[in-house]
Amino acid sequence: MRLSKLLTVSALAVSLAVPAMTGAAFAQDKPVVGLVMKSLANEFFKNMLEGAEAHAAEKGTYELRAVGMQSETDIETQINAVENFITQQVDVIVIAPADSRALIAPLKRAADAGIEVVNIDVELDPQAKTDAGVELAFVGPDNREGARMSGDTLAAELGQGGKVVILEGNPGADNAIQRKLGFDDSIAANGLELVDSRTAHWETEEANSVFTNMLTANPDIQGVMAANDSMALGVVKALEAANRTDIKVVGFDNISAIRPMIQEGKVLATVDQFGSQMAAQAIDKALEVLAGAPPLEGWIKTDLALITADTQN
Amino acid sequence: MIETPTTPPPASRSPMVKNIIRESGIAIALLLLVLVFSLTTEHFLTTANVTNILTQVTINLILGVGITFVILIGGIDLSVGSVLALCAVVGGTVMNLPGLGVIEAVTFATLASVAVGIACGMLNGLISAYWGLPSFIVTLGMLNIARGAALTVTDARTIYSFPPAFNAFGSQTFFGVPLVFLVALLLVLVSWFVLTRTVFGRILYGIGNNEEAVRLAGHPVFWYKVAAFTIAGAAVGVGAMIYVARLNIASPIIGVGFELNAIAAVIIGGTSLNGGRGSVLGTLLGAFIIGVLANGLVLLGLSDFMRQMITGGVIILAVIVDKYRERLST
Repeated sequence: MRLSKLLTVSALAVSLAVPAMTGAAFAQDKPVVGLVMKSLANEFFKNMLEGAEAHAAEKGTYELRAVGMQSETDIETQINAVENFITQQVDVIVIAPADSRALIAPLKRAADAGIEVVNIDVELDPQAKTDAGVELAFVGPDNREGARMSGDTLAAELGQGGKVVILEGNPGADNAIQRKLGFDDSIAANGLELVDSRTAHWETEEANSVFTNMLTANPDIQGVMAANDSMALGVVKALEAANRTDIKVVGFDNISAIRPMIQEGKVLATVDQFGSQMAAQAIDKALEVLAGAPPLEGWIKTDLALITADTQN
Repeated sequence: MIETPTTPPPASRSPMVKNIIRESGIAIALLLLVLVFSLTTEHFLTTANVTNILTQVTINLILGVGITFVILIGGIDLSVGSVLALCAVVGGTVMNLPGLGVIEAVTFATLASVAVGIACGMLNGLISAYWGLPSFIVTLGMLNIARGAALTVTDARTIYSFPPAFNAFGSQTFFGVPLVFLVALLLVLVSWFVLTRTVFGRILYGIGNNEEAVRLAGHPVFWYKVAAFTIAGAAVGVGAMIYVARLNIASPIIGVGFELNAIAAVIIGGTSLNGGRGSVLGTLLGAFIIGVLANGLVLLGLSDFMRQMITGGVIILAVIVDKYRERLST
């Protein structure tokens, strides 16, 4: 049945943004919330969009306009989306910024235009915010803390002196940096030995190759910390190919493909940051402010949960 | 590269001889790399590591072989990474259709994957040849269309359950040689035969050298062009199934940037971006140079950023060397 969708492919416009306009049929007087996400090709943001749509439909007190983009780094599309929302005079903008600095100027314009702006997912650079003279609250998870939780599970399994490697996300990406710091925290606190740390750009195939080569160079590796589950999947396949059942793996994100691996014990742990609820939570906070609550400030941390074979059941 | 007094005057050299001269240069470069890594790292020249390298070059090699056909006629295919994702998710969806036995599921999935690749490649060819558009633009469009289609087919979800026998194929080795690499090698050999031993192949070279002359000779240039893009698409379909077998996932976001690696393999392999010169054996060597570099530099413990810079440098170096080789061999 999904194949039938394929037949409509030729009719698909090659749009550079992926507009997902929803709720246009709602009454005009409801507050309008503009949600700007990163790539909807990423399951994380796909879930976030669905969570927000479900939330909007359930509450029925606001109109949701959501925009995604084509790739993780498509900064310009996001800036355009923010500017379009300013033109449309929406009441709230909730944004998962593609870049922690580049989005500050357009968001300041939005705030100056009286729009309630809430930053989710990745925090905008505090220094750049100060420089621009803008105060924006951040609603999101502590990636560093999550990575530490994941790393600690591995450390508990390996014990003092365990030799580990890290697979990092995209160099320079804020969540990649935070997760690397969290892994480093765990390694330092638990007396593990870091043998090597490399990026596999969040990708399964690259993680498979890069980790295989790391393992060749360091056959005595005992544990792997992958900054996301897609890379952990590549590591698991590499371990299967090398017949190494002794090496433990932890990941991050709790994507659906990782769950059977956790059941089977191929992956020790992952972390869920409840992306599906993140946008909905931020929207609630912003609507409260519109209704007269005090303005949002600082970092409003969202939930994190460690997922292991024990917690899954 | 090796000019000896006994060689006949340049004008009389056959394309075969020219290709051998080109490829021996690339082969020497590859051997040098192998030598350096063998001497500087402990694990490079072990059976297990050679097996790893063969696995790691496989997909890039398959994509590169397909793109070689397109580059030989003076075109380019930027869509292969996205088309790979589309083929993988369509194949993965077919494999999970209810009520299929393992053999049927894998057969239908492979056919579906290759069919999707062929369809995308054929569209690339038809559109660029019919309207005389630069394939750079047409395949850039296809890059977006295929990615969007892959996301539509899966609703942006990853497919991750496949028959164990199919996954076993992805990691099985035969005397240390991965089965998936043997598939790639077979494609190289068949392509080499087609390009050098058949009229079809010679006409593709002819189109790259002088399209008008081929047209005046009465050959349907249009259909030869379509065929070159179609072959590239079919290769992507095969590569996609190998990806799924190897990594056990079919996701609409896989394969981003694969086209650039595959084009790099073709260019390092001495195939001219202007068309008409080059060979799949060069692409084989080019894919190995990229794979050996990626593997050896990690074994050496070089940082990611250094690794990236060195790989970029090698691509530029290959083109510079090619300039000199061109002068020597014509």
